[in-house]
Amino acid sequence: MLGIFAALSLTGALFAQTPAQPANPATAPAKAASAPAPAHDLTGVWMMRNPPGSNRGFTNYTFTKDPPELTPWAEAKFKEAKASNGGQFTLKTTNDPVLTKCDPPGVPRVYFHPYPFEFVHTPKYTLMLYEYDHTVRRIYTDGRPIPKDPDLLWMGTSVGHWDGDTTLVVDTVGFNDKTWLDRLGHPHSDQLHVTERFRRVDKDHLELDITMEDPKALAKPWTTTFYYQLRPNWELGEISCSGDYLDFSNFEK
Amino acid sequence: MKTKILALILGIVAVLVVSGTTFAHHGTAAYDTKNIVTVKGTMTDFRFINPHVQLFFDVKNDKGEVENWQAELTAPNKLARAGWDKHTLKAGDSITASGYVSKGDAHTMWINKLIGPDGEALHLFEE
Repeated sequence: MLGIFAALSLTGALFAQTPAQPANPATAPAKAASAPAPAHDLTGVWMMRNPPGSNRGFTNYTFTKDPPELTPWAEAKFKEAKASNGGQFTLKTTNDPVLTKCDPPGVPRVYFHPYPFEFVHTPKYTLMLYEYDHTVRRIYTDGRPIPKDPDLLWMGTSVGHWDGDTTLVVDTVGFNDKTWLDRLGHPHSDQLHVTERFRRVDKDHLELDITMEDPKALAKPWTTTFYYQLRPNWELGEISCSGDYLDFSNFEK
Repeated sequence: MKTKILALILGIVAVLVVSGTTFAHHGTAAYDTKNIVTVKGTMTDFRFINPHVQLFFDVKNDKGEVENWQAELTAPNKLARAGWDKHTLKAGDSITASGYVSKGDAHTMWINKLIGPDGEALHLFEE
């Protein structure tokens, strides 16, 4: 049985490699020719792309070039993390909860999986369907407030509202503290508040500003921007972590 | 006939292309990513499965012995978006695979380039 986890990481590596190819539409700068964004509509399948004119490799494992400012509590917890993605690793040398236990990835770590997601709007909520492990988020847009005493969940509880015609603002709270913020193992507490601003800059391009606030773990907010491209011809398939990823029998001779 | 080629130049190019921004941040413990090996073989099994598509094929070495190889591609969903399906390859097909060989098993490969039975390179990325 060879290092399946190394292979899984190579997937990310190869994904990251594709932007080096000039013909790759995912890396082409946003074209002015793209039609304007429709109002209050993110419907469709979106796939990560690198920032225009950049091959920002660190987006594969963490959010920013410089590490976040952690509290002492988080520093201590971070030292316990044995990242899957810092170089050499095997199943025995990482304690990454996604790779070793198929724990749900949490938010915003879910965006490091090199697979697309889909927006589905309904009158009272918007669904985010992530191809990786059938991950679903339900973003309530019926005007309800952010819960003050939320249950603690893997993917949190989300409420959203439109800021203008083309920006969906999503506030998410109520996370358990079992997930990592990124693939390096930067921790968060159950006080994590994630704000996502999905800005549809034109019909084909989406920019996602993420702000992580956590008074217990982050000495100051951690922010980043991710870039996505509409994939009108793509459909989400099935990727189940449990079984697909944890059952090694398919990889043994 | 053994057609295993140690393409050092290709390996260097590959490392240069993907260095720093990609492989430096990824666990590559299982594969020798400094060298690209090319083998020609005959498919014995093709599994279009998560998390990575699996190829099984036989390669004849210099001594005329048959080596049983196993190789991986990316996720089936990604290959489906590149035009693949579960019937793209089948037992008996001739292939030429190039890629990184596992450090722990000389007959296990991560494929970077694949020539199919019709002699054409198969698309390995969903773009």
